[in-house]
This record gives sequence, structure tokens and C-alpha cells, in this order.
Amino acid sequence: MKMTKIYEGSHQWIMFGRDQNKPANIIDSNQYVVRTTNRCLLMDPGGSELFAPMMAAVLHHAPVEQITDLFASHQDPDVISSLGLWDQALTNAKLHAPAIWEGFLRHFGCDSIEYVPIPDHGGSIKLDSLELELIPAHYLHSSGNFHVYDPQAKILMSGDVGAALEPIDSPVFVDDFDSHIDKMRYFHQRWMPSNQAKRAWIERVRKLDIDILAPQHGRMFKGDDVKRFLDWFDGLQVGIAV
Amino acid sequence: MNNQTKSQFVAVASITSELSAVMVVAKEISLAAANAKAIAFRAGDKAKGFQPITDFINELAKETIDLVTDINVYALLLYRLTVNEYRRTGAYNRFEIATKLAEGALYGASMQAPLENARARMQDCQRQFKRDVAHLLSQLEAVMHHARAARVIAANSRIEASQAGEYLQSLQAVAESVDKAAHTIHDNVQRCRVALSIYRSN
Ligand SMILES: [Fe+2]
Ligand SMILES: [Fe+2]
Repeated sequence: MKMTKIYEGSHQWIMFGRDQNKPANIIDSNQYVVRTTNRCLLMDPGGSELFAPMMAAVLHHAPVEQITDLFASHQDPDVISSLGLWDQALTNAKLHAPAIWEGFLRHFGCDSIEYVPIPDHGGSIKLDSLELELIPAHYLHSSGNFHVYDPQAKILMSGDVGAALEPIDSPVFVDDFDSHIDKMRYFHQRWMPSNQAKRAWIERVRKLDIDILAPQHGRMFKGDDVKRFLDWFDGLQVGIAV
Repeated sequence: MNNQTKSQFVAVASITSELSAVMVVAKEISLAAANAKAIAFRAGDKAKGFQPITDFINELAKETIDLVTDINVYALLLYRLTVNEYRRTGAYNRFEIATKLAEGALYGASMQAPLENARARMQDCQRQFKRDVAHLLSQLEAVMHHARAARVIAANSRIEASQAGEYLQSLQAVAESVDKAAHTIHDNVQRCRVALSIYRSN
């Protein structure tokens, strides 16, 4: 599992991914961790296949008992099917996840972890003195979907928005936006169902000050590429399967 | 899922299906008993010896039904336990891998506590499963006992039926159906016991 520190300040952001040992037939995913003095938040911690490498990777940054918070942007298995395993490993943790998915996500096993339902209008996660914003991203692609914005680090963890399907050894940042488009187009057109939802999200996100857009698959966007992505996405027709 | 776990799931699931067949047959016996009672009543003195037998058959069928109802509830618990054990064993195995992968990590040692807990929880489940299997086996033994008793009664019924004159055939048919049903129950329950017995002590 590759680890890349993407922000270092009063707290840290670390990106985990590009796991060379993952089974070939499951989609590669990026996991993000925010580390504060005494706490640790895992965002979209991944599928159950990824649990052991992910846990081992996190242990480079925090002890198990300080993994206090999990976040699931939506209900997909690549996002959170590891929940039942985290549930048995963590003794004092919360899962922040869309309220409408609670009854569904509990199928993965959620007995000792406290499910903190995120209402449709969003909310926040407090870690020590840090406050992260939960930005609604419904229908992108899941009907109950949130992104995490850190106003201090200026990072938006954007779930499946900005995702690209790429080989396991590709770099973690987009280096040539134009050539990256081909790797994102089909994913967004096919998985994202609603042009209306897309427009609402873009409007909301354009108001945020973002240095890094961090999707759950593929590469992160930095600096001007964030705006390039929003412009490209704005002009894209989605929901093409009907 | 390894073969041991797979066959455990199958063994527990097969109990429920075997027992639902037992239930159907036990209800048949109870019906046969009611039928026999009516015939014996019509036969009057000719079937005097048969009357207490019908009550006995009926009683036996009822007890079997109650017992099987209890066992079904228990089998469901055992199924949940199997699911739990599967989950806990899976977690323990993955915790072991994580612990190995985390060797040399700054906080790798903090994985020890969850690993120990997971092991203890898994072993708890295994012990509980063995206890529950032993209990279930003794309940199944009780059903077998009932089935054997029913076969003895069926044999007695045949003898009594032979004294019943023109009712001989219909009473013999009753004895026949009780015997057949008891046989079926015996076989089904025996299959449950065989499926479970390998989990009793190993
Ligand atoms: Fe998804
Ligand atoms: Fe995804």
C-alpha cells in the first residue's frame, strides 16, 4: 500500500492506495486519513479485501485505539464493505455515513461502532480542534452521498466524483489534464445519473477554496486542475445509459 | 470460506430442512390417531384394546411436534452462532495478516489487543457451538426415542387390529401408517445426528 502525505500542518492528510497486492479483479481505490493530535479519521476505508493492508498502513501513523472515526461517502462495497472488520477491531469509534443508508450499511456488521447518521443537508466531523465539513453530493453517484471538505487544508475528498479507472502503478496526481480526460469520461457518464444533481454540486463546490480535489479512484487534482475538472464536468452529459 | 466452515453451514441448514419433513410426518401420525379413534369408537367392543393405543399415538405425535418446534428454534440459534463464528474467524485471520504486515510500523504493537480479543471471541464461539451441538444431539435423541416407541405401538396395534373383525383392514392401515411415519422420522433424525456428530468433540 502506497502512502502519500498530501497535507502537513497542525494536522495531516495522508492518501493510501495503489495496493500492489490487491486481487486483480477488484477496483483499485484511494483511502484518505486525517490525523490530528489524538484522533484519526479514515475516509472511505475500502472493501473487506483491503482491510488488512489498510490497517497495517494506518498503524504507521496512529495506534489502533486512536482510530476514532470512519466516514463513508456512500454505501458501495468498494467504499465500506470492510466495516464489519473495523467493527471488531475498534473499541471506541464512530461511523459518519448518510442517514438514508443506515439500515443498509448495518448489513456489513456495525455493532460496536456507533453509526452517526448524516442528514441530507450535511453536517460536520470534529476531530480535536479541527472541524471538517460534510458537503452534500447526492446522486453523485449514490442517492445519499457526501464529500468531506477541510477548509484549513483546502482539500475536498470527493468520493467517486473525479474518479478514473487506471493501472495500479499510475501517479497519484494528474500531470496532464487533457490526457486524463479519457480515463474519466466513461466513468462519469455511466455512473453519475443526474445532470441536475451535477449542476447543483458544481455550484456549491465552486464556492469552496480548494487546493486538492481527492477522489476515491484514480488521481488527485491539484491547483488549476481543480478548476479544469469542474469546467470539464460542467459540460459533460451524464446518465447516458437511458 | 474453507471446507470446514462450508460443511458446518450445510450441516446446520440441513437440520432445519430434515426437521420440517419430520414435522409433516408427525402431523400425519396425529391425523392417523384421530382417524383410528373414530374407527375404534364405531367398532365398539371389537376394538376395545385399540382405544387406549390411539390416545397413546396421539400423545406421542403431539410430543414429537412440540419437541421439533423447540429444536427448530434451537437450530436457528445454532445457525446464527455459525454465522457469528464465521465472521469472528474471518476477522481473526485478517487481524493476523494486518499484524504481520504492520511489523516495523511505529504503532504496529497496538494491534496486539484487538488480535487477542478477536482470538478470544472466536474461541468463545467455537466452545459455544460445541455445547449447543451436544444439547441439540440430546434433543434429537429424544425424538428418536419417540419414533422407536411409535414403532412398538404400531406393532401392538397390528395385534389388536386382528381382533377387530370387519374393522381389521382399516385399523391395520392405521397401524401401517404409524409405522411408516415413525420409520421416516427415525431416518430423518438419524441423518441430522450424523451431520452434527462430527462437531461434537473435534
Ligand atoms: Fe461508488
Ligand atoms: Fe467508488
